[in-house]
Amino acid sequence: MSSPTSTVDLKDASLLARLQDLVAASPVPEAAISEVLQVLQKARGYIDEEALRLAASLTGLSPVKVEELCTFYSLVLREPVGTHVLRICDSIACHMAGAQDILTQARQHSGVDLGEVSRSGKLTVIPHVCIGLCDRAPALMVDDQALGPVDTQTLTRLLAQLEADIWKPS
Amino acid sequence: MKHVFFLDGQEIPFIPGQNVLEAAIAAGKDQQIPYFCFHPALGSLGACRQCAVKIYAHDSKHPPRITMACLLPASDALQLATLEDDVHTEHREIIELLMTNHPLDCPVCDEGGQCHLQDMTVQTGHSVRHYSGPKRTYRNQDLGPLVYQEMNRCITCYRCVRFYQDAAQGEDFGVFGSRNRVSFGRLEDGPLESPFSGNLVEVCPTGVFTDKVFRHDYVRVWDLQQGPSVCPHCAVGCNTTPGARLGTLRRIRNRIRPEINGHFLCDRGRYAFPYVTANSRPLQPRLMGETTRQDAVLRQLASRLEEGRSGFLGSPREDLQSNLGLFALADCLHAPFAAVTSSWAEALAQQCLALPQAPSLQEVAAADRIVVIGDLDSIAPMAGFAVRQALRQGAALTVLASSRTELAQKGDYRPLRPSALRDQVAQLADDPCLQGGRFPVLLATAETLGPSGLYALRKTLEKLPANARAGAFVNRPNLFGAAYFAADGHTERLQQALRQRKINHLLCLGADPLGEDWGAGTWRTLAPGLDGLTLLDMVDSETARSAETLIPVAAFPERAGLFVNYEGRIQAFSPVYRREAQVLHSAVHGSGFPEAAGGVKHPLGPPPPLFWLGRLAEMLHLHEAWQKRLDFYLHFLCPERPDPEGPGVLLPDTIRARFEIAAVPAARAVTPEQWELDIFRWYGGETLADMADELHSLAPARGLRVHPNVQAAAATLHGPCGELRLPVIACAEMVQGVIAIDQEGFAELGLYPGDPVEVSWEQRQ
Repeated sequence: MSSPTSTVDLKDASLLARLQDLVAASPVPEAAISEVLQVLQKARGYIDEEALRLAASLTGLSPVKVEELCTFYSLVLREPVGTHVLRICDSIACHMAGAQDILTQARQHSGVDLGEVSRSGKLTVIPHVCIGLCDRAPALMVDDQALGPVDTQTLTRLLAQLEADIWKPS
Repeated sequence: MKHVFFLDGQEIPFIPGQNVLEAAIAAGKDQQIPYFCFHPALGSLGACRQCAVKIYAHDSKHPPRITMACLLPASDALQLATLEDDVHTEHREIIELLMTNHPLDCPVCDEGGQCHLQDMTVQTGHSVRHYSGPKRTYRNQDLGPLVYQEMNRCITCYRCVRFYQDAAQGEDFGVFGSRNRVSFGRLEDGPLESPFSGNLVEVCPTGVFTDKVFRHDYVRVWDLQQGPSVCPHCAVGCNTTPGARLGTLRRIRNRIRPEINGHFLCDRGRYAFPYVTANSRPLQPRLMGETTRQDAVLRQLASRLEEGRSGFLGSPREDLQSNLGLFALADCLHAPFAAVTSSWAEALAQQCLALPQAPSLQEVAAADRIVVIGDLDSIAPMAGFAVRQALRQGAALTVLASSRTELAQKGDYRPLRPSALRDQVAQLADDPCLQGGRFPVLLATAETLGPSGLYALRKTLEKLPANARAGAFVNRPNLFGAAYFAADGHTERLQQALRQRKINHLLCLGADPLGEDWGAGTWRTLAPGLDGLTLLDMVDSETARSAETLIPVAAFPERAGLFVNYEGRIQAFSPVYRREAQVLHSAVHGSGFPEAAGGVKHPLGPPPPLFWLGRLAEMLHLHEAWQKRLDFYLHFLCPERPDPEGPGVLLPDTIRARFEIAAVPAARAVTPEQWELDIFRWYGGETLADMADELHSLAPARGLRVHPNVQAAAATLHGPCGELRLPVIACAEMVQGVIAIDQEGFAELGLYPGDPVEVSWEQRQ
C-alpha cells in the first residue's frame, strides 16, 4: 500500500460514494473498517483526524476503536510521509541477517529520525514487523513492492533511484 | 452432587461452569496460583500466562503438562499440581517477563501496599531482574480530575479496557499499539466520560490507574481505618469501604455485595465523599449566625419546643433511625411531622413503596427484556450498569425518555414528552418489547415518571407475567425509610399548620426546604410566617445559611445507621472513624505537661442526629416515651437488625401493602402546543456530591436544555412560585417541545416534571 502524500478532499463525492459502497458490501458495517482506511489512506496519504472520524462515522465504530485498529496495524499511517515509504523489516530473521545495518544506513541517508519525512520530501523510513520474507532476509518494502535480500550496495542504489524519482516497481 | 477436583492433593469444590482458577480463589488457594488478567467480574483472558498449573492426565499416554488455570474448565477428579519445580519456575519466569519494563517505584507509588503485582511478585519469589537494557517509557495522559495515569507501570493484563469497553460500555477509552508498545488510554487528553471510570483504579492490578482524589490527601493504605458502609448518594445502596486516617476521610472503595453492586461503584459513590471534608461543612452549632456551645443551643431549642408551636420535617437524605427519632419526638410532643417537603414528593414515595418487590441489580443483570423509563444513568448509575450487563447477555432494551440518553443509544429508543410517558407505560403490557421474554424488568426514574406514572407502572405490572418486576429509583438513599410512617397528607398538614399560624418554628433534619428540595417554592412563600427554623444537617445548604439555629451532625461514615434502598432492603452501616484533629502544639491545652508522641487527638466531630434528639427528649423530660416509640417503630420495620457485613434484610411485601390504596394526585394536563418540563440531571449530581470539588468540576453547565430548532439565547420560565431565567443550551438529543431543567430550577418555579410551563424566549442579538 503506497502512501504518496495526497490531498483529496474528504467531501469529494466519488470518494464518499466509494466508501459507502464498501460499507454496504460488508456483512456488518464495522467489518469494512480496514478497507475504508486503505481507501482513505490512498486518497489522503495518511489517516488524519478528519479521516479517522469519517471512518468512524461510516462504520459506526467509535473513534477510539478506529484508533485502536490504526495503531495495531503498522501499514496504517497516522502521520504524513514522504513520496516513498521504505519499510525495513526488523523482526527476528531479518535482524539476524543484518537488518539493523540496513536501517541505520537508510536513516542516515534520510537525514531525519525514523518515521519522519526527509528534507527532500522524497522519503520516510519506518522499521516494520515481519513482512513474511524470512527466506530473503534482510528484506524491505518500497511502497507496495517487497525486496530482498538487500545489502548496503543495493540499498545505496535504491536510495539514489528514489531521490532521483527514477525508481520503478518491477 | 458435590463436585471436586484436586489441587496438590487437596479437594477443591467447584460449581459446574467455573474454571480452575475461579474455584481455587473461592477456596482460598490463590496463594498457590498467582494471576493477573483474570478478574471475578471480567472473566478469563489468558493474556498474562501467569496462572500456570500442571495437569496430570488419567492415562499413561499423555505426559503431565503445564496449562493456564483460568482457561481450564473445572471438571470432576481433575488432578492438578503447583508445588513442583517446573511450575514454580514458570511462575517466576513469567513474572520476570511481566516485570521487565516495570519501574522500581514502589516507594513512591500510590498502589504500594494494595498492589496485586507487588503481592504476586513477592509470592512467586522473583527478586532479581536479569534484563539490564533500557526500559520502555510512555508519555502519560491527563485523564481528568478523578483518575491518575502512570503508563510505565503497565503489565498489559487488559483488565482496564475489558472493564471500560465491555462491562461499562464506555467509548472513550481503548488499547493502542501492538507488541511491547501497547498503551491504554483516551484518543486525546481529557476527563474520562464514563460514570464508572473510577473502577479503573480498582481493576488495575498495579499502579497504572490510581485514585487522583485520594492522591491529594494520601496515606499508605495500611494506615487507613476502614469499615463497612453504605453509599448515601442514591437509592441503590451500594456497599462501600470508606478509608480514614487521623480523623479525616480519605477515600471510598467498593465492598463486594453480589446482590447490589458486585465488584464496582459509580463515580458518584466513589468521588462524592469530600462533602465530609469540605470547608463549608458546619462543624460547630450556630445560633443566629454565631458559633455557640452544644448545651446553649440545646437549651434554646428545648425551650422553643416547650412552647408547643413547632413542626417537624424529616428527609429521605437522612438515615432511618434519625428520621424515626425525629418522628418519635414529634409524636411525643403531638406536633405535626412531614417526611418530605412536598405533597408531590410524598405521593411519589408512597407509589414507590406500593410497588411490589423490586428486582435486585443482580437480577436486573439477568433480565432478558428491559424497559427503562427516563435517564437512569443520571439518577442511579449502578442500575444503568446492571442494564449494561444484561445487554451483554443479549437482553432486549427499550428506553422511553425525552432525550436520547447513553442507554437509549444502546437499545430501542422511543422519544416521548414526559406527559406521554404515563400513557405509554400504561400500554406496556401489550407492547411487543416485553413479549416473548423469560424475565421482563421495568426500571423507572421515579421523578420523571411522577406519582401517576408510577401508579400506571404498578397496574401494568399486574397485567404482565407473575415473574415480571419493576423498580423505581431516586437519588436519595432513604426515601422508603423516611416516608414509611408518615401519614397520608402529612406535608400538606404541616404546611397548613404554618399557614394557619398554629406553628411558628420548624425543626428540620437533613432537608433543604428553602433551597433545592421539591416544593421549595412553596416553603419560601411560607417562610415569613416562621419565627425560627432549626436545621440538623451536615452540608452548607441554602436552608442552613438562613436557619436561625444550625446543628451540625456527623457524616454517614462517622456514625452507625440504616438505609432502606429502592428494593426495600434495609442495610446497616457502621462508624468507620471519629472526626478529630491532631494537635501538636502544647500551648493548645496549656497544661505544661509533656505530650504524647505525635501530639494529642482533639475530637472535632459533631454527634449524630440521634444523639441531639435524645438529649432534647431528655431536657423535655420525655426520654423514656421517646425511646419507647423509637424502638417500637424500628422493631416494626426491622425486627431483625441487619449486620453491616451482611446483605441486609428486605421489607416484607405485607407491610408495604397499605400504600396500595394511597391517593394518586392527577397529573397536570398538557396540550401539544405547551412547553413541558423534564428534569435534567447528570451522574455526579446530588446534594452531598455537589460539595465534592473534583467530581463537581465535571458538572455540565446550568441552562435550559431544548431541541436545537429553538433559536434563542436565553429564556425566562414562569412558575407559580417564581421565575427562572437561564441561557438556552441546544441539545440534539432532546425531544421537541420539552425543556429540561435541574431540580433547583423546579424548586424556584414551584413546578414538577411533566408540568406545562410558560416561556418567554430572548432572541439572539
